[in-house]
Amino acid sequence: MLPASQVSELIQAIVKALRAFQMYLPNNPIYQRAIQNVRTALGPVWAATDELNFHMTESDLLWEEQSVYHQINKSESLAWSLFKDGMRELTIHKGAEAEEVPLLLATINKARFLPADAGDDLLTLLWALEFEHIKYRFVDFFAEGGGELPGPSGAAAGESTSAEERRARVAEEAPERPKGLVDLDEVDSTLYFLDEDEVTYLAGELAEEYKRDVRGSALNVLFDLMETQPEGNVRDEILGVLDQLFPNLLTSRDFRSAAAILRESKLLKERAPNLRMEQVQRLDGFVSRLSEPAIVGQVLQSLDEASGLGLDQDAAALLRELRASALEPLVSWLPNLSSAPLRKMLEDVVDKLAGSNIAEVQRLLRQPDSPALLGVLALCGRLQLHHAVPGFTDLISHADPAVRLAAVQTLAQLGTPGALTLLDRSIDDTDRSVRLAAVRGAGSRGYKGALRRIEVVVLGKSSKSVDLTEKMAFFEAYGAIAGPAGLKVLSAILLQRGLLKMKEPPETRACAAVALGRIKSPEARDLLQRAVDDKDLVVRNAVNRALRGAAS
Amino acid sequence: MTQPAGGGSEHSAPEGQLRQGGRTLLLALYTALRSIKMYPVENTTVQKALDDLHASARSLLEAEVELEIRVAGDFLFVNGTRLRVELDNYASFSHILAMLRAVEIGVLHIRAGMDRREWQIFLGSLLSVSQQGQTDERLEELQERLEAAKVTHLELERAQAEGGASEQDRHQAKRVYSEGVAVTREMVSGIRLGRGPRLKRVKRAVQLVVDQVLNNEMSMVGMTTVRDYDEYTFTHSVNVCIFSVALGKKLGFSKVQLYDLGMTALLHDVGKARVPAEILNKVGSLEEREWKYIQQHPWLGALTLFGLRAYEEIPYRSILVAHEHHMKMDLSGYPRTIRPRTLGMFSRIVSVADGFDAATTRRVYSTTPIEPDQVLKEMWDNPKRGYDRVVVKALINLIGVYPVGTCVILDTLEVAVVAGPNPDAPQLNRPLVRIAVDVDGATVPLPGNQVSLAEKDESGAYKRSIVKVTNPARFGLTPGDYFV
Repeated sequence: MLPASQVSELIQAIVKALRAFQMYLPNNPIYQRAIQNVRTALGPVWAATDELNFHMTESDLLWEEQSVYHQINKSESLAWSLFKDGMRELTIHKGAEAEEVPLLLATINKARFLPADAGDDLLTLLWALEFEHIKYRFVDFFAEGGGELPGPSGAAAGESTSAEERRARVAEEAPERPKGLVDLDEVDSTLYFLDEDEVTYLAGELAEEYKRDVRGSALNVLFDLMETQPEGNVRDEILGVLDQLFPNLLTSRDFRSAAAILRESKLLKERAPNLRMEQVQRLDGFVSRLSEPAIVGQVLQSLDEASGLGLDQDAAALLRELRASALEPLVSWLPNLSSAPLRKMLEDVVDKLAGSNIAEVQRLLRQPDSPALLGVLALCGRLQLHHAVPGFTDLISHADPAVRLAAVQTLAQLGTPGALTLLDRSIDDTDRSVRLAAVRGAGSRGYKGALRRIEVVVLGKSSKSVDLTEKMAFFEAYGAIAGPAGLKVLSAILLQRGLLKMKEPPETRACAAVALGRIKSPEARDLLQRAVDDKDLVVRNAVNRALRGAAS
Repeated sequence: MTQPAGGGSEHSAPEGQLRQGGRTLLLALYTALRSIKMYPVENTTVQKALDDLHASARSLLEAEVELEIRVAGDFLFVNGTRLRVELDNYASFSHILAMLRAVEIGVLHIRAGMDRREWQIFLGSLLSVSQQGQTDERLEELQERLEAAKVTHLELERAQAEGGASEQDRHQAKRVYSEGVAVTREMVSGIRLGRGPRLKRVKRAVQLVVDQVLNNEMSMVGMTTVRDYDEYTFTHSVNVCIFSVALGKKLGFSKVQLYDLGMTALLHDVGKARVPAEILNKVGSLEEREWKYIQQHPWLGALTLFGLRAYEEIPYRSILVAHEHHMKMDLSGYPRTIRPRTLGMFSRIVSVADGFDAATTRRVYSTTPIEPDQVLKEMWDNPKRGYDRVVVKALINLIGVYPVGTCVILDTLEVAVVAGPNPDAPQLNRPLVRIAVDVDGATVPLPGNQVSLAEKDESGAYKRSIVKVTNPARFGLTPGDYFV
């Protein structure tokens, strides 16, 4: 005999579980423990009976006509949450505890918090679950006022004709034998009428139905209608639908559909006949709104948070549709992205956008405070945007050394005469990193225009104090740019000439050796050979390194 | 939730295990039946099939002590557990259902100890008697054979007469139908006034249709013959919903898929709410301009559904069906499409259901309905109609060669209304009918006398056969009256 207290305990466990369902996600240990507690509470119940049957009132759950749960506060009451949606009886059979009870509780919890005008309630949600061990009864649905029940048409059968007339008509028609109906030979006259091919076909078609991109297809309906229905009010209605839909698509991260709207709005401007100006502007509005920096930032933030969800391709399709104004926020976001694949995707998008919007790139280069400046500089080099060089004039004197450095590195990558002219100026920059980048850039490009500024350092006439690394960079650049013409200067520095000649420090002589190595001529090699056995270890090492480099 | 009348065995294995074991048993039974039909008993295929059958039954009997296979409606239950029909086991279940019905077997009791020899005798005898004599004598003949062969571990019970739907089923079907009409009317009126539908109510109405089709398909299909001239817009939507769900069931859809399909079907004509009432209700034939307006209803429906605010999620599938239900398989028809599109399966089903119901119904702008069998013939024979032939085939098998509501003249010179396809599936051309006018030309009180055209007399000849499909109006009959 099952005591009512045992059933009350079970209900309390269920109430606690519902609370846990409300507060925690299914993977939370508290959620899991709550389910386990319900199962545990069901243990002694199943030892005594195979089923539990409850009736519900607004405030109570009744088991064997006794109240096993009472709560008058409707917002907290389990009984009310079942009662309000029409449930009047619930039977839980043994076996339900494994899968169905948690599902039931999750469904009750879901139904409890649905707004009054939601499309579902407890009944519609439970209906789809097809429980095997849980049965329920709801109030008669028809009680809420269904339609009038259909009845006979009112005319007594055959009242308009007499028996004789009917007999005569039957006789008149009867001789004709039935022919021309569906040919029975064509129809397999058994219940299993579908042959294997048809079964396969149907299974495939049904699977396709559920795989179908219904949203994309439905959007295509709207785009087709924009083209085929010239009426202004229809087009306005369609644009209204798209206006409402667009932010929702972004919110739900359906970037593919959002991209389709951008792509199609561009196409529709060309293909839909007789669009009004205002409609054209509304079509334009989708891409221009999305290209606004603040909105691009939202999309990218959302994308970064959703990285790993496999949305990158769809997102790329969306971002590729953006306008030039999106370039700045896109570039600014690049260094902040945590997902490497997303960053790669975004770089591709940015490159394409920049490649087709040089004017925007140039505009950004003229914005000294733009957060995208460094990124834009990098992409100018990556994309070899030679047209952007005039925009660098101010940047090489930008207040921020990091910007100047990036500008110099990009100028070196671009390597055009204009770029190298600007680069040359940076050889005198106040920042060591910038100078280094500039002199190395000039050296790597063999830019003769830079020789004058480099020579100043090589000949020791510079007022700046330079460390060994910088000095080495200048010498290397000198060797690369001056070529055989520099042999005289370099040999004088490397090789000492008699006791009265001034002796250069070994570090400077080592730099000259490295510079000679860059010239790579037989004369330069000869000069280096002469210093192979130099007494100074630093010089000797540099000479040997230069000889190996010159030989390679 | 569905349980057959009569319940199940007291012994029970876990239901999941029973469901799985039951499916295996039924598949083994089907394979054995087919093998015995095709090969001599000594053939290794037959022997292996019997081995498999015996093994699967024994395996279940170890847990269950006794097995009860029960036929209830279109379902098979093993010890009270309904076996789910899926597309991959559909053919076998249908065949077994047909075979059991042909011999009027309602329940098979299989007891522990049933051996291979008994299975072989049972299946051989079942095949043999299912093709001979009168339906109502076959079970006795089978039982005599089993007794003579000392088959002691098998007991058969006669099926309760189906005869279409019970009074209770018919009453429930009427309520479901009327609720569907009321919901549709409310929805259409709401749209006309710029209000969204009460979606919960719409959903429940469709769920009720699905439940009723699953429990008693013919009671629900019978309701589609109630063609209300004044409420065509609403009854047509409900009819299309019923036909679509019943077709989906025939094609092996799951319950939730049936709901999805039913929802799209109920909403398929929602665009008509935006067609001017004076055109929709115009008596007589329509002018070209008016037809053009009518032809806008698919895309008007799509636009309307896009705008329904009550939906948490926009009903994309319903939008597509509303838009595509007048398109043909090659995408001709209307509305015109520009972007690439594939006609969805739901659209094809709703299209067939819509085409059949519309053509067989008298409407304000098409006052002459075509007889149901002629509509089926046209849909099946004329590829220019552009229907999916497999779906049309399913419709023919759903409602019979003579669809429910067809008025027929019999060779007895009686006039009858078709009440449903013959439960004995191979007799697709011999439906259940309700005699409406007797041999003397006198009308039979509603709902008429139900008879099966598969019945034979003592000489083995059919007692009644259809000689002609006729126009019920010629005899003052309203087919829908025989179903309400």
